[in-house]
Amino acid sequence: MLRTVLSDLARLRLSGGACSVTQVREKGHLSRPRLRNPYWFIRQQRLQTDDQVTGENRSFIKEVIHDTYGTPALIKGVQTYEQKQLIKTDEAPISTEPWTPNVRRCGLIARKIGQYPLWLKNGERIRTTLLQVVDNHVIKYIPPEEYKPTHQPNVKNLNRYGCVLVGAESTNPALLTKEYCGIFRDSGVMPTKNLARFIVSPQAALRPGTPLNVGHFRVGEFVDVRGKTVYHGFQGVVKRHGFKGMPASHGVTKTHRRPGNIGGGGEKGRVWPGTKLPGHMGNRWRISKGLRIWRINTKYNVMWVQGSAVPGSTNGLVYIYDTILPLRKPQEAPPLPTLYEQPEDEAPDDIWYEQVHNFKDETISFKPE
Amino acid sequence: MNINVRILTKSVAQQYAFKRIVTFSTKPTQQAAAAAVPQQQEVTGSTVRRPIVPAHYRFVYPEFLPDPKVEWRNTIREKLERLDMLDRRRQIELPEFYVGSILAVTSSDPHAAGKTSRFVGICIHRERCGLRARFILRNVIDHQGIEVVYELYDPTIQKVEVLRLEKRLDDSLFYLRDALPEYSTFDENMEVESLEEGAPVPVNDIKVVLRPRPWLERWERQNLLGVANIEQYIKDKHRKSSEKAQKPWEKYDLMKQYRATIPEEEQKEIFAEVHTELHTLELQRKRNKRKRTFVKPKHLA
Amino acid sequence: MAQILLRNFARAGNAALLTKSSNSSSILATSAEPGNCQLHTTPACCEIRKLARLRVVDNSDLGKRAMAEGRPPRCIHVYNKRGIGLIGDKVLVAIKGQMKKGILVGLKQKQRMKQPQFDSNNLVLIDDNGSPLGTRIHVPIPTVLRTILKEKTLAKGADYTKVLAIASRYV
Repeated sequence: MLRTVLSDLARLRLSGGACSVTQVREKGHLSRPRLRNPYWFIRQQRLQTDDQVTGENRSFIKEVIHDTYGTPALIKGVQTYEQKQLIKTDEAPISTEPWTPNVRRCGLIARKIGQYPLWLKNGERIRTTLLQVVDNHVIKYIPPEEYKPTHQPNVKNLNRYGCVLVGAESTNPALLTKEYCGIFRDSGVMPTKNLARFIVSPQAALRPGTPLNVGHFRVGEFVDVRGKTVYHGFQGVVKRHGFKGMPASHGVTKTHRRPGNIGGGGEKGRVWPGTKLPGHMGNRWRISKGLRIWRINTKYNVMWVQGSAVPGSTNGLVYIYDTILPLRKPQEAPPLPTLYEQPEDEAPDDIWYEQVHNFKDETISFKPE
Repeated sequence: MNINVRILTKSVAQQYAFKRIVTFSTKPTQQAAAAAVPQQQEVTGSTVRRPIVPAHYRFVYPEFLPDPKVEWRNTIREKLERLDMLDRRRQIELPEFYVGSILAVTSSDPHAAGKTSRFVGICIHRERCGLRARFILRNVIDHQGIEVVYELYDPTIQKVEVLRLEKRLDDSLFYLRDALPEYSTFDENMEVESLEEGAPVPVNDIKVVLRPRPWLERWERQNLLGVANIEQYIKDKHRKSSEKAQKPWEKYDLMKQYRATIPEEEQKEIFAEVHTELHTLELQRKRNKRKRTFVKPKHLA
Repeated sequence: MAQILLRNFARAGNAALLTKSSNSSSILATSAEPGNCQLHTTPACCEIRKLARLRVVDNSDLGKRAMAEGRPPRCIHVYNKRGIGLIGDKVLVAIKGQMKKGILVGLKQKQRMKQPQFDSNNLVLIDDNGSPLGTRIHVPIPTVLRTILKEKTLAKGADYTKVLAIASRYV
C-alpha cells in the first residue's frame, strides 16, 4: 500500500507539469449501489452569520415573508402564520374511489403534550396521553409509479403505494437553507420545521397544501403512535433491563449492580447474540400500537389517547398512524383522504367517546338493582 | 451533661427546622392572607378594573397550579386541564379545606348496598395537581384505623363536606398512623361546625402523643411541630443520625426553591384565568346556602 | 468481678424497664400475662406472604384466644398464583398449633382509590366449606369484599358469602 502511494508520488513528480491523471481509486469500492437518502433529507438550518443587514432591510425581509405567507397568528393553539393561500377545501381530492379496509391513509405529526386521567361512565379511571397535532400541511404527493425509495420501508407490495410528504410547524424561512426551502416551493406551503413521509394508497392521495387536522381521526378508533423514546445514555444492566443486581453486603465486593454470568462454556463458550448487557438506553424509535382515541378537542387540535406510555418525552414529536392491528382496524369508512374542515362549520369543541364521562355531565351514580 | 446535650440538640433542631417546600404548604397562609386583605381594599379604592386575584387563592385552590417540573410543562395541556376542572367544579361543590380539616366524602360505590358510601375522617395529606389532585382521609372506626384515598375531581364523588375547617401545625399528618388512636378518632355523625364568614382559618395547635417504637417512619428526622413526645422514645443514636440527616443549607438554596415552585407571575396569570369563574361559583354557592337556610323555617311553618 | 456484677445489675434494670413498658403498653395493646407474652419488635408486614402475622377480627374462640395470648396467626400459604395475598383471598394460617383457613378482610397495603386501607392485616377464620368459625366481625370491612366474595363463590364452589353475613359494618 505504502509502496504504491510512494510510487504514485514518484510518478507525479516525474510527470511534472504535464497533466497525467493517476487513477488511485480502485473498482469495487465505490461502484456498489449507494443507498441514497430521500431528497428532503437536507441540511435545514442556515449557518447563522452576523451579516451586516440594516434594520430597514431586516424589516423589509419580514414584510416580504408576511406578504407571501400572511401575518403571524395563533391557530389552534400553535404559533404559526395565517397561510391564506392554502385553503383549498373546495378543490376535489385527487381520486374519488371509495374506502376499502386495505386502504392506507396518511398519518399526522403531533406533539405529546402531557397526560392526565379521564373517567369512564362506569366510574373507572383511565390514564390518557394528550397529543396535539401541530400545524400539519401536505407538502407533496408522490404517486406509486414515481415512488422508488432506495431505503425500502418494511411495507408489503410497496409498488402499489405512493408517498405523502407532510410538514409540521411553519417557521421563518430566513433561518433555513435555500435547498431546504426549495422542497416547499411547489406546494406553496411555508417551510416547516418538521417533515415526515407517510406511505399511502392512491385513493388516499392528498393535494399539496391541504391542512391536516385532528379530525382526520375519529373518536373511538385505534391509532399507532411512533416516537423516539427518552434517552437515558449509557446505562447499566439494572436500569436498562431491570436486573436485580447483587446483595449490598454478605461478602459481595464490587459486583452490586453487575450482570453476573453472561453465558456458558464448552460448545456455547461465547457471548450469545442478544445477551442483555449494559449499553445505550432509549433514543430508539418505538411504536405503541392499538391505542384508543377517547376524546378529541378540535379547538386546540388535541386528541386523548389511551395509556401513559406513549414513546417520547413531553413536548416531543410523535407520528400518528391508523393502527395496523387487524382486529382494531376501523369497520366504517374514516374520512378519506382526510376531513376537510369548513371554517363556518359549527362543530362542538370537544368530542367525547360514548363511554367516557364528560366533565360537564352530572356526577356518576349507580342504580341499585 | 446529657441534659445539656439534649437542650443543645433541640435548639439546633429548631434553628435548622427548615420547612420542606411543598406546593400544598399550609404554613404561610396566614401571612399571605393577612397581606392579601389590605391589598384588596387598596385595589378596590383605585380605578384598576382588571379582576385582581386574592392572594389566598393559591392555598384555597392549590391544584390549579401545575407541576413545577419544567420538562413536564405545556401551556395548552394545562389550559385544557383547567377547563376540565372548572367544568367539574360547576357540577359539584369542592370546598376549601386543608390538611387537618375534617371532611365527609360521599361517593357512589357500585359495591355498597345503597350504591353510595360516606366516609368521615381527618385529611392527613393533599398531593398532586390538576385533575390528579387527591387527598387522604383517616379515621378510627371500631378501634380500627382506616385510611381512604380520594381524588378531588373523580366524577363518582357526590359530595364533599367540610365538617371542621382548620389547619394543623404540619404539612402532612402521616404521624397520626403512629399516634394513639384517640387522636384520629372522629365521630361519623359529626355536625358541621361553621366558621364566621371572613374569619381566618384557625390553626389547631394540638400536640399528638405517639405510640412507642417501632414506627412507620423516622419521625425524629422530620422536624415535626405537632408531636409532643418524640424525645421520649429516641435514643442518642437516633438523635445523632437525625442531626446528620438534616439539610440546614436547603433554605439558602434558592434554585431548589425556584425549581420546586411556580413563580409568582405565572401563578397570577393562571389564577387570573380561572378567577372570575371560581368567584362566580363561590357567590352562587353562598346564595344557594342562604336560600336553603331561609327556606327551612317555611317548611316547618 | 465488679464489672460482671455491674453488668448483671444493668441487665436486671433493663428487664425491669422492659416489663414496666410492656405493662404500660398492655393498656393499649391486647397483651396478657407478661411472662408468656411475646414482644414483636418489628412492625406488621405490609404484604401478605408466607409467615406474615395477621390479626383475627372475628369472635371465634380460637382466634380470640390466639390474639389474647399475643400469638397472632401466621400465614403459611396464600391460595392464589402470585403468593401474595390481596383483599378477599383465602389463606392458610398457623394458629395455636393448628392449621386453619381464613379470608383476608382488610389490608395494610396500599389500596386502590376509594378503597379503604387498614392499620392491620385482618383475617376472618373459615372452615373448608367457607362458613366462618365466629359469629361476628368486630371491625368494619370494605364494601368491595361483597363483589369479590360473590365472584369467588361462583367460581370456586365454596360459599364465601357467609362471611359477609356476619359483618357488622362496611366502609
